[in-house]
Amino acid sequence: MFLKSRAARRETLTFYLLISPWIVGFLFFTLGPVLVSLGISFTRWNLLTPPVPIGLRNYTRMLDDRLFWQSLSVTFRYTLLYVPSELVGGLLLALLMNRNIKGIRADRTSYYLPTVISGVAFVVVWMWLFQPEVGLINATLSRFGIQGPRWLADPRTALFALWMMSLWGLGRNAIIFLAGLKGIPKELYEAAAMDGAGMWQGFRHVTLPMLTPTIFFVLVLSLIATLQTFTSAFVATNGGPLDSTLFYVLYLYRKAFQEFQMGYAAALAWVLFIVILLLTILVVRSGQWWVYYEGERES
Amino acid sequence: MPSIVVTATPTVRPEGAIAVLRAGTGDSGEGLTPHFKIIEQFEAANPDIQVQLEPVGSGDYYARILTQIAAGDPPDLLQIGDDAVPRFVDAGAFIALDDYITGGEHPLDTSIYLPGVLEPGRWNGKQYLLPKDFSPLAVYYNKKLFDEAGVPYPQDGWTWQEFLDTAKQLTKTDAAGKVTQWGVQLPGPWTTGFEYWVSAAGGKLISEDGSTFTGYMDSPEVQEAVQFYADLYNKEKVAPLPADMNSFGGGNTEFENGTAAMRIFGRWPQAGLRQNPNIDLGVVGMPVGKQRANVLFWGGFGISALSQDKEATWRFLRDYTGIEGAETWKDWALPTVKEVADSSGLSTDPIEGVWLNELNYLAPRAYVSTPYWGETADPALRRVLETVILDPQANVAELLKTAAQDAQSALEELP
Repeated sequence: MFLKSRAARRETLTFYLLISPWIVGFLFFTLGPVLVSLGISFTRWNLLTPPVPIGLRNYTRMLDDRLFWQSLSVTFRYTLLYVPSELVGGLLLALLMNRNIKGIRADRTSYYLPTVISGVAFVVVWMWLFQPEVGLINATLSRFGIQGPRWLADPRTALFALWMMSLWGLGRNAIIFLAGLKGIPKELYEAAAMDGAGMWQGFRHVTLPMLTPTIFFVLVLSLIATLQTFTSAFVATNGGPLDSTLFYVLYLYRKAFQEFQMGYAAALAWVLFIVILLLTILVVRSGQWWVYYEGERES
Repeated sequence: MPSIVVTATPTVRPEGAIAVLRAGTGDSGEGLTPHFKIIEQFEAANPDIQVQLEPVGSGDYYARILTQIAAGDPPDLLQIGDDAVPRFVDAGAFIALDDYITGGEHPLDTSIYLPGVLEPGRWNGKQYLLPKDFSPLAVYYNKKLFDEAGVPYPQDGWTWQEFLDTAKQLTKTDAAGKVTQWGVQLPGPWTTGFEYWVSAAGGKLISEDGSTFTGYMDSPEVQEAVQFYADLYNKEKVAPLPADMNSFGGGNTEFENGTAAMRIFGRWPQAGLRQNPNIDLGVVGMPVGKQRANVLFWGGFGISALSQDKEATWRFLRDYTGIEGAETWKDWALPTVKEVADSSGLSTDPIEGVWLNELNYLAPRAYVSTPYWGETADPALRRVLETVILDPQANVAELLKTAAQDAQSALEELP
């Protein structure tokens, strides 16, 4: 008993020691600005003249702000489209990467490679592909007599085009899924096969349940990251055409650094923080219904 | 708006000490060469002053200088664009230069400048910034395509109708009805460039006192301008749709590829167009609507209100943007000083002379009437332009009415 608690204390100490660089960074570089931004959100401030306290006006103003609602709607629609595709696509990619075949290492590398390219360079390449007249996609389609859509230049297709663009980065999560797949003990499949389970049943009753902690982890991270989508829209469309790709964070950036409404931008940031917090809590709560931890069963 | 956050206390420089100035610019890469050249010459002639150039990538430039100002440590000399002048000056980021210009040990004769290039640096009757470079709009045309079609080159003073007729004559379609050559490549939903069309139609986007959009933005003149522009795309079909709505200039490449006969834009891509083998380049003034008009795009330098050594900064600014500087700038952009434009032969050059001549027809910009143009009328107008380009059935009068109301309520909601 004594030994165990000493080991536990040691573990606790190691834990704090290992994350201490992060804690120090958070306390010194993040916490302060975060608190100040809360203060700024109750003011009107253009950076050039002193901030003027205006109470809750920045928050009430959002209710009548058409572009606030538009940006929220764009962000939610995109998240509903992207997060499921990232989970399913990432998992499929991981399954492909998990095969025991010759040259699998080169295969894995090629799946993961697009993720390594920096965000902006990658978006610019896709902008060339999407160019409506001479871009690779429409030029190819026109060979088959198909008039392709105007992609990023059309409000009906722009958000969809950004989604297609982002699927290029699936490799990132596939690596996490792959790690999860590798962690599933072979005995489980052997036992399942003995009981007469086929490929699909093995996947359905062994792989999926054993992978739920990984799926849960990817879901939470993906949700948080997707709600903050910025780079692709900032580079490719700047929110247009006709605000069809006006993501929430892009709108926030525009308010802060193009229109210099720091107070309003800070308020927008806090609203997004609360939205993300609530959604994350919802997902975490839901975890008890569908996430299976092997360790729990034992204790 | 009231004064700046931090008030600088001027330090008195001891006799013989060297003043070190910082100059902020949004230029980058190749564009920095003339800056360095002028600085080098200035430092050689003024051994008591050193100048450090601080270039910032153009995308983040304003965000960067704003944070520097908020932190109380901006460069002594700041470069900003025409549309940012009202906002920055109104918030007290720059000092008025009038006392330095007319009095003091180093006065500046402002009659050296070309017409219209001082105005963008002025606010409430005072001069805050001096000009670095500028560009009006003009029509580029490809002589090869005109010769092929047997269409005479456009002449200075041509009308909107002549412009439209020329564009129609130069638009070609194949047997299947697909356009193979366009009459004119337009700059898409570019709001600040669109003001040319508004002014040429005899309209205004905002009242002179900066308080009212309704009755201006939705006036019959502005309607006519928007309708004419939209028809070029969708009714007359003489202009290719923008390939990239977000890109500056519309992202089209037809003029460069030799499949558009004309292009409306500023002087920025001219050097490349002159070397392009697909193009035998000509330039002509903007067509005349109800009246002749043009708009100026402009960059200038001013002295930060937080500068510790305004006297030394003025001495440098005076050189940077005066005759000495213009001698260097002229190799990179149009010079701002008349004498330099004349002596270098640019005023009579068949291409450069066109740009310089357009300075005689400048219309006042809407954003000189309000520091809030960017968050009120600009997005509203942009919405109108994007809609009429994308939707051939769009009702221009209705759209402008809504836009004027949106801009108006955005203005009234501001502090």
